[in-house]
Amino acid sequence: MKKNIVLVILLLLAVSSSYSQLKVVTTIPDLKSIAEFIGGDRVDAFSIATGYQNPHFVDPKPSYILKLSKADVFITVGLDLEIGWVPALLNSARNQKIQKGGEGYVDASTNIPLLQIPSSVNRGEGDIHIFGNPHYWLDPLNGKIIAQTITNTLSRLDPEHQVQFQSNLKKFNETADVKIKEWETKLSRFKNTKVIAYHNEWPYFEQRFGLKIVDFLEPKPGIPPTPSQLAKIINVMKREQIKIIINSPYFTAESAELVARNSGGKVVTLATSVGATQAIKTYFDLFDYNVNQLVSALQ
Amino acid sequence: MRFFQFGLVISVLVADGFAQSQTDSTSIADSLMMLQLQVQMQPQAASEQSASVVRSAPSTNPDISAIGDFRTSYASEGSRNVETYFNALEVQVSSVVDPYAEANFLFSFGKDSLNGDYSAGLEVATLTSLSLPYSLQVTLGKFKPHFTKVNTLHPHAFSFVEFPTMIKNYFGNEGLFMEGMSASVLVPNPWEFYQELDVEIGRSESTPALDNGASNRLLYSAHLNNFFELSDNSTLGVGLSGLSGVNALDLPTTMVGFDFTYKWKPVQFNTYQSFTWQTEALICKTDTAVGNTIQTYGAYTYFEYQIEKRTFVGAQFDYSGLPGIEKSDERTASLLLRFQPTEFQIFALEFQNVNRNYTSSYYQIMFRAIFGIGTHAAHAY
Repeated sequence: MKKNIVLVILLLLAVSSSYSQLKVVTTIPDLKSIAEFIGGDRVDAFSIATGYQNPHFVDPKPSYILKLSKADVFITVGLDLEIGWVPALLNSARNQKIQKGGEGYVDASTNIPLLQIPSSVNRGEGDIHIFGNPHYWLDPLNGKIIAQTITNTLSRLDPEHQVQFQSNLKKFNETADVKIKEWETKLSRFKNTKVIAYHNEWPYFEQRFGLKIVDFLEPKPGIPPTPSQLAKIINVMKREQIKIIINSPYFTAESAELVARNSGGKVVTLATSVGATQAIKTYFDLFDYNVNQLVSALQ
Repeated sequence: MRFFQFGLVISVLVADGFAQSQTDSTSIADSLMMLQLQVQMQPQAASEQSASVVRSAPSTNPDISAIGDFRTSYASEGSRNVETYFNALEVQVSSVVDPYAEANFLFSFGKDSLNGDYSAGLEVATLTSLSLPYSLQVTLGKFKPHFTKVNTLHPHAFSFVEFPTMIKNYFGNEGLFMEGMSASVLVPNPWEFYQELDVEIGRSESTPALDNGASNRLLYSAHLNNFFELSDNSTLGVGLSGLSGVNALDLPTTMVGFDFTYKWKPVQFNTYQSFTWQTEALICKTDTAVGNTIQTYGAYTYFEYQIEKRTFVGAQFDYSGLPGIEKSDERTASLLLRFQPTEFQIFALEFQNVNRNYTSSYYQIMFRAIFGIGTHAAHAY
């Protein structure tokens, strides 16, 4: 009888161990979406920031410390995008695995070809990121690099399911290749179309899909629009026949709408992350949404 | 006349702050914006964005920041009632030491309110573990103990120009400092909400309520912090603190504190709007002779509302007794206007009415400019 009980307990332990998932915490939902695609049922993922939240300014709530204290993997955008809140959370997480250099710490910017790396840095230039523009996940080709980085980490931490992760990576890349062609085709007739953006967060999207961002409503990154800047933008839009102002979900639309009214342009709010609207549930939905928004605004 | 001089200083400083940042277009009426636009709409050359191929090198240097605190004030009493002075410079150096710990040093160069001389002091010097088992975190060195929520802050991080009266009356203008050891643990609970217990032991500096400089008895303090996410946009923190030490007479002083903080911040537009309501109270039992215990109280409550991206208004009400002194108390009411062009510059204007039952009452108007450079670690939520 005793032997049977021990056997049952061992069996239960073995079963629970084989079904124990890796707890993944990401800073933004796009990284969560990619981690879920690669990890499948082997991961239990949570994103700290929501899709409609400015990832520069997230409050380091103690409840996130609790999540991080139990995490096996922490995936960050890096490049100092989250410098205002991630260090405070990590230092209180009491979890060595996910500290910088730990086995579960993943800097998703690894191997990403970065844009806009400044040659000199001065706070007078606004919120400059010294390692380069950190909004790289907005190029779906970079999504493939992020997926590879996540696959490497998951395979290292859970080698038993390496084949599953590799297979999911293959599917992710195949889907991305098909989708990128589809998106590029949809936007091909608008190549080199000049647009204005609120904040400098679209250079990777711009490069992938051939738009030309001429200027920003913010006079400097992170500095709210000023009357002189808006006046300058109105002049630029009129002079260069620019019709589109790209806004982000977490910036109020008043400045963009004011400029649109005075320049004959149109405000298009694009999603910066998965979850920005209810329809955007995955990383691929993000580009479906943005490409469709742009196409309907530009035609 | 002095009031006028004070007003002039304030106007110049605030005007300077506004000139640097200009008005956020989202916060003013379109008609006003249109007037400014008409003035501004002159043909201008389109700016070219420069591209660069130089990549900044990673560095193992610690994060270094310097924060200046300039103040100007007018008080309704005293022979010298207009002040304008540089209150303090705080230099912080922090970094991880190795995979197991981080270190933090904070030096303060402050003005002595009595003789007007500047002197340097070490405010914080800590080594904090990052990876102990059982959710344990240990800090060694000099730090601000977790007795009450506000005491852990440095003055520049508090919304109002000065710390609440109860902190000043019991622990001094900068709050309570301690040299010793602090241990904190995340308390597991079936409801899976954040609960953190901090326990500290060490020696405190000389303060009105505590002074174990000559005593062999140590100071013990503890704080239980409970945090609840009420919704995506609102949170509630409730804490309980306790402290046991000795006073200047080498007799026991025990204190109990309670804190309550409600925050509302819409996640989507969290840089534009927020509301904070924080309340704390303490009970202090001080032995002034063997068998003679005097119980006094302190409390404050404040509200702060962010009316647009860079402008905050607030009100604070304080009550505070004096440690070990019966029937002496102070009641303070404050109104605050805070403007911050960026997170690196904060201008605060505060009106404060102080009523004291043991000496004369007065009002004062204070202006504070906080400005920081370098990389400063984020403050706790």
